[in-house]
Amino acid sequence: MKPILDVKSIEYTYVSRRGFFSPEQKFHLGPISFHLNAGETIAIVGNNGSGKSLIAKALVGAIKPEKGEIVILDDDDIGQNSKFRTRAVRMILQHSVNSLNPALSIGSILNKPLQINSDLGVDQRREKIERTLVQVGLLREHYHFYRHMLSDGQQQRVALARALILDPKIIVADEPFAALDPSVRSQTVNLILKLQKELGLGFVFISHNIGIVRHISDRVLVVDRGKVIEEGSTQEVFANPQQAVTQKLVYSHFNLVEKHFSQM
Amino acid sequence: MALLDIKNLSLYIDTGNESIKALDKVSLTLDEGEIRALVGESGSGKSLIVRSIIGALPSNWSIKADRINYKGQSLLGMSRSKRREVMRREIAVVFQEPTSALDPSVNIKEQIKESIPPELIDKKWFWQRSKQREQLAISLLHKVGIKNHQRYLDSYPHEIPTDVSQKIMIAMALASEPKILIADDSTRGMESTTKTQILRLLTKLNKTKKLAILFVSHDLLAITSMSHTMTVLYCGQTVESGKVKSLLKRPLHPYTKALLDSAPSFQVSLAPKSPLVALEGTIPTLQHLPTGCRLGPRCPNAKKDCVIAPVPRNIQEHYYSCHFPLHLPNVKKADREVHL
Repeated sequence: MKPILDVKSIEYTYVSRRGFFSPEQKFHLGPISFHLNAGETIAIVGNNGSGKSLIAKALVGAIKPEKGEIVILDDDDIGQNSKFRTRAVRMILQHSVNSLNPALSIGSILNKPLQINSDLGVDQRREKIERTLVQVGLLREHYHFYRHMLSDGQQQRVALARALILDPKIIVADEPFAALDPSVRSQTVNLILKLQKELGLGFVFISHNIGIVRHISDRVLVVDRGKVIEEGSTQEVFANPQQAVTQKLVYSHFNLVEKHFSQM
Repeated sequence: MALLDIKNLSLYIDTGNESIKALDKVSLTLDEGEIRALVGESGSGKSLIVRSIIGALPSNWSIKADRINYKGQSLLGMSRSKRREVMRREIAVVFQEPTSALDPSVNIKEQIKESIPPELIDKKWFWQRSKQREQLAISLLHKVGIKNHQRYLDSYPHEIPTDVSQKIMIAMALASEPKILIADDSTRGMESTTKTQILRLLTKLNKTKKLAILFVSHDLLAITSMSHTMTVLYCGQTVESGKVKSLLKRPLHPYTKALLDSAPSFQVSLAPKSPLVALEGTIPTLQHLPTGCRLGPRCPNAKKDCVIAPVPRNIQEHYYSCHFPLHLPNVKKADREVHL
């Protein structure tokens, strides 16, 4: 296993204010450290407002941690600049549907990141986009389509294609399945598993669907109030949760599953 | 007798140049004290059914039904004011996306107070009445499991977490002491801890108050842990309905089977990171509905007969609409031809 991402005790404070005269409300994240190997899936679980999404934002560079650093390990050490990071770490957003620009065709949505981040020519870019579309199970013709012409599942695939187009090493997904229907969700899960196997992608996956987390992740990070409270392999954590928050999350899920089986 | 009885409900959407049949002969019953789950993916017409029941239909939608009865009275033939009365007092709806269903410009206290019908206030003078309303509002919040009511009463919807606003929506629905609660996708996007709380609350209401619940969702885990019966919808057609137990044990329709298989938690012997069972393709849009059985193009067992819509049949209160049901290989060919 080759490590590709190393997060060294990052910290960040999020300050919000309800009104001009009301006191500031602070949310402190961290220190958080973890590492990710190639071809591995790490899941971040936790209750709402525990800081899961902030970790994702820090990983892709949308927020800058105050302390600590995020190192992307690479063979041809280009340096840790933001351009390199954009190429190596890509994100799938929670509502992929809303993250696609309705006024642009799928082709131009996928073209932009290539234009900015690579030195491919027009024809090569076109070729690359079409190859990526096929890779995620769409057709070459979808290049000319617009968002509204695609179904939910297809839009999710476009979001995935946009993440894959720069040949990243790591994909960060914030609740990628929450808005999807069961059958489309299974398709997307399968697609992600397949791509991970083929391309050796590292996958940071944020979700509160314990069933899916258990299925696709290798390791779990349980976050509560901005701190990592439990960490370990998925099987271990779910078989023997140590912290109260984890226990509550896991047991409430298994209670539901048990009730399901008692019906059979 | 069934509390709510819907038979062959079809809903047409007029788009200007064509009329789309969004619901195709859906039947549904809800008995007293029953929790029925209405299962289907988005675009399957779950919310259309809910809107047909409550009568909130835009002018370009029209419904045709053999009957939509509430306690034996036809909701369709009812006068406008009578229907409003029934909707106000007997049937309550908890809508999708609680944070946007609540009024953003009014605080929670006022919203709950407004939802309490005047009949329940028996004090004489206005200051007493206002006080009583407030007390009722607080006790409603306690009923749905919100203990620190003071924290939420003066807040506005955007300041409240989703799961709490979901509970507030339920509290407002319960204010009129309804007989039927329609919960439209109440557990969507919740983590398992809050989901369990909401489910426990609904189960408790069902047991203590004999509240009949129509639970609309596609979260199978939530459904199977709580409901007694379920109706599975696909693209506006009922594909299967019956007791949850028998549907789980022996799903007869390929779609029900695929739906159950899609949840990884339900399969004990599933290796981590192995591919999940999934139907090919996606749900067709309303403009491009296939003829006959609408699952046809995606169905693994589809044959030539499937271009004709199957007639619902039943075995021991387990209704299904499929020409080639699973687990039942020996449906008599002759029997099938009669229906064709």
